[in-house]
Amino acid sequence: MWGMTSGAPTQLGYPIVQYTLANGLRVISSPDHLAPSVAVNIWYDVGSRDEEEGRTGFAHLFEHVMFQGSGHVASGQHIALLQAAGAVVNATTWFDRTNYFETLPTGGLDLALWLEADRMSTLLDALTQENLDNQREVVKEEKRQRYDNVPYGDVMELLNALTFPADHPYGHTTIGSMEDLDAATLEDIHAFFRLHYVPNNAVLSIVGDVEPDDAFERAETYFGQLTPGAPPTKPEAGPLGPLSGTPRTETSGKVPAPALYLSWRLPALGGRNFDAVDLAFSILGHGQTSRLHKQLIRRTEHAESAGASTMGLIGGNSFGFSYARARDGISPEQLEEETVELIDQLLTDGPTEDELRRAKAQFERHWLHELARVDSRADALGEYATLHGDPYLINSRIADITAIDKDEVQTAMREWFRPEQRAALIYRQERS
Amino acid sequence: MRDFLPRPAIAPAAVWTFPTPRRARLSNGIEMMIFELPGQHVISAHLVLDVPLNAEGRDIEGVATICARTLDEGTLRHDGDEFAELLETEGAGFGVDLSLSGLQAVLDVPASHLDRALELFAEAVTEPSLADRDVNRHVQLRLAEIEQAQANSSQIASIAFRAAIFEETRRAARMNGGEPATVRQVSPQAVGAFHHDHFGPAGTTLILAGDFAEDPIAGAERSLGSWRNNDQRRVVAEEPAAGIRRMVLIDRPGAVQADVRLGGFGIDRLDPRWSAISVASYAMGGAFLSRLNAILREEKGYTYGVRMNFGPLRTGGSFAVQGSFRTEVVADALAITRELITVDQAPFTSQEVDDAVAYFTGVSPLRYATADGVADQAATQILAELPEDYVDRSLALLRSVTPDAATEAYRSVVNPDELTLVVVGDAERLADPLRATGFPDLEVRTPDFEETQL
Repeated sequence: MWGMTSGAPTQLGYPIVQYTLANGLRVISSPDHLAPSVAVNIWYDVGSRDEEEGRTGFAHLFEHVMFQGSGHVASGQHIALLQAAGAVVNATTWFDRTNYFETLPTGGLDLALWLEADRMSTLLDALTQENLDNQREVVKEEKRQRYDNVPYGDVMELLNALTFPADHPYGHTTIGSMEDLDAATLEDIHAFFRLHYVPNNAVLSIVGDVEPDDAFERAETYFGQLTPGAPPTKPEAGPLGPLSGTPRTETSGKVPAPALYLSWRLPALGGRNFDAVDLAFSILGHGQTSRLHKQLIRRTEHAESAGASTMGLIGGNSFGFSYARARDGISPEQLEEETVELIDQLLTDGPTEDELRRAKAQFERHWLHELARVDSRADALGEYATLHGDPYLINSRIADITAIDKDEVQTAMREWFRPEQRAALIYRQERS
Repeated sequence: MRDFLPRPAIAPAAVWTFPTPRRARLSNGIEMMIFELPGQHVISAHLVLDVPLNAEGRDIEGVATICARTLDEGTLRHDGDEFAELLETEGAGFGVDLSLSGLQAVLDVPASHLDRALELFAEAVTEPSLADRDVNRHVQLRLAEIEQAQANSSQIASIAFRAAIFEETRRAARMNGGEPATVRQVSPQAVGAFHHDHFGPAGTTLILAGDFAEDPIAGAERSLGSWRNNDQRRVVAEEPAAGIRRMVLIDRPGAVQADVRLGGFGIDRLDPRWSAISVASYAMGGAFLSRLNAILREEKGYTYGVRMNFGPLRTGGSFAVQGSFRTEVVADALAITRELITVDQAPFTSQEVDDAVAYFTGVSPLRYATADGVADQAATQILAELPEDYVDRSLALLRSVTPDAATEAYRSVVNPDELTLVVVGDAERLADPLRATGFPDLEVRTPDFEETQL
């Protein structure tokens, strides 16, 4: 039927049990016996927002160092031992966190916990200048490969600088600068480890083919002896209001098409107003029925791609952006004018009921996908426990989003997502 | 220092097998494979069409891609905006996948919405409007996409590499989505004709995986069972062949890194050497501490990561060492690579074989634990003409690989002196060092593959 969905939202009931060790390590268990695998995931409550001035990129460099061996593990052996147990292993660094994870056959669970505990307690015993220098080079190669050597690779950095003050925790990117990477010393690594890599600043999620009591007992065995540290203080970043004065930057590079990027300061993750403004971004720019796609791709055919989305962050504010890449003969300014007009319309008239229903239905599928695998479910649990203090929220996210109505979306937009609250980045083609 | 527990041993892995599908056949002959996966709330549906890319006319290559991408731009029953709105209202995602051996239309949807979403999915595949305006737009978007690819170092390398290692008349030598000259020739008439000639129930398989609210066969019959196409033409997949060895340097002036591909023509999964070559390539360039990554990343710090990959096709395939290195060290990285990939004096060890087998065995339950993981693998198997229990069989074969077999298979495929090289980077700084490193016959080209002098 037109405008009707054919089924009710999915009710989720993943089992979740929490237990906190005496040293403050929070452990979350969520059993799932469908496959003989288990996901181990540690969220450390440290990200690029915790970096000090002149040390951008440090949290990420540190993440690399975490694979260079610890008291009882030789350099590179953390991954090698886990892969030989049939594990998929990795780690990532972001503004608000650093996460380390492995998923493997259940029989390797003890090994995974032992390895994680070893580096949480004895990383510094194995650290050498040589290891640090090697990983500094690897990280610089990563920066070249992912940012410096690809078209539009500096967009994130430019948008961050437009949206937040330079000394704000979100004023710089996670990859950081080459100069700051060069400046990192062994002493910096020691201090960073002692401050942030303590059991009371971490959440350990164990999801899969293991019962909660068993998971907690093993966590106690391997992590119970670790000593807590002083709880790290989080960077002071009171919520900032929306942008004003429409700051703008222009740049040019060897890119295949001129492009427009707009950004907004948004409320922090965790409140209904973030969820409401997130739905507004989705209606503007997610999927084929979004207003940007319909207008810029299908009707005027002025853009080859266009979209909008939010990036939820916990420290006072989040970040939202839209983009459009121009077709031949179209200027970024024209795309900006058209995008602004679409936002104005959405702001004035509000979303239609159908649009809101679609945005919620798309969220539902995205969220179900996110929880479909034990590894991404473990990561979601770590995220909700670390950033929101409540892992049970993963079961109620769909209901929370479904409950938001049209008025709330419009109200959130009026406060945070007005055209005049944008920053603009114009990307032009360098003519050789 | 407190006492530390000794490193725990690994308990033996539980027996695991790839899920077995229930089979059915719709009244028009479409084969159905149903994987019941408890707890998988998002259903994954793959409609696999036996339409190899060599079904495209040589002068309009790209027509299959444009056709597939225009499927969800409106149907005979619903215009473009309306169709997309209906689909998204169901929380559904629609996608297409094109490989040399065949096409797939893919639907992801929460289980409670499957029935209605499957009707819309069937509409898109069986009666798309393929309107002039939509086709023409997708042609322009494909051309823009090629421009994007030609601005991206890694993509330039991959495109140039396939052009070199496959014999040039074969479809495999050119981009799946078509090259600019042929994409420009794709007209709405050609797209309509391609759909009319090649889309139909014959040879088509519908794969459904997930936690179903009700038996999905009746819904599938309602949506797809009455689809007929008496004019449907079946095309036999072309077998790729090896090209002539080349050494190509593609110039990106000022680039801070160079993308490297060093490899050649490979083998497919039905080759008796496949399990042995899988083990060998994991040891050479798959594991984190593989021979290549341990030296070039962890010891030298030359790269964020270097891999050796084997990419099987239905018949034949390709293999390559690939990585991105800062300009100053590219020649040295290649010299080291050539030494490392020569195994005559350094055969694979039993430890390397054990680690590879443990890795492949261990990651399988996770990889195939989700609806899309299972459906994707089942589709891959159909397109490569592999048996239904392929995953279980191949894991069993892996366990029987010996170090000698791995070394022997590797040496029979990888001849370090006969490999094709593609480097994408700053030619002015790279050309001489590369020539001096043992690649004397360098051709220097621009990113759109025109020859240039340097």
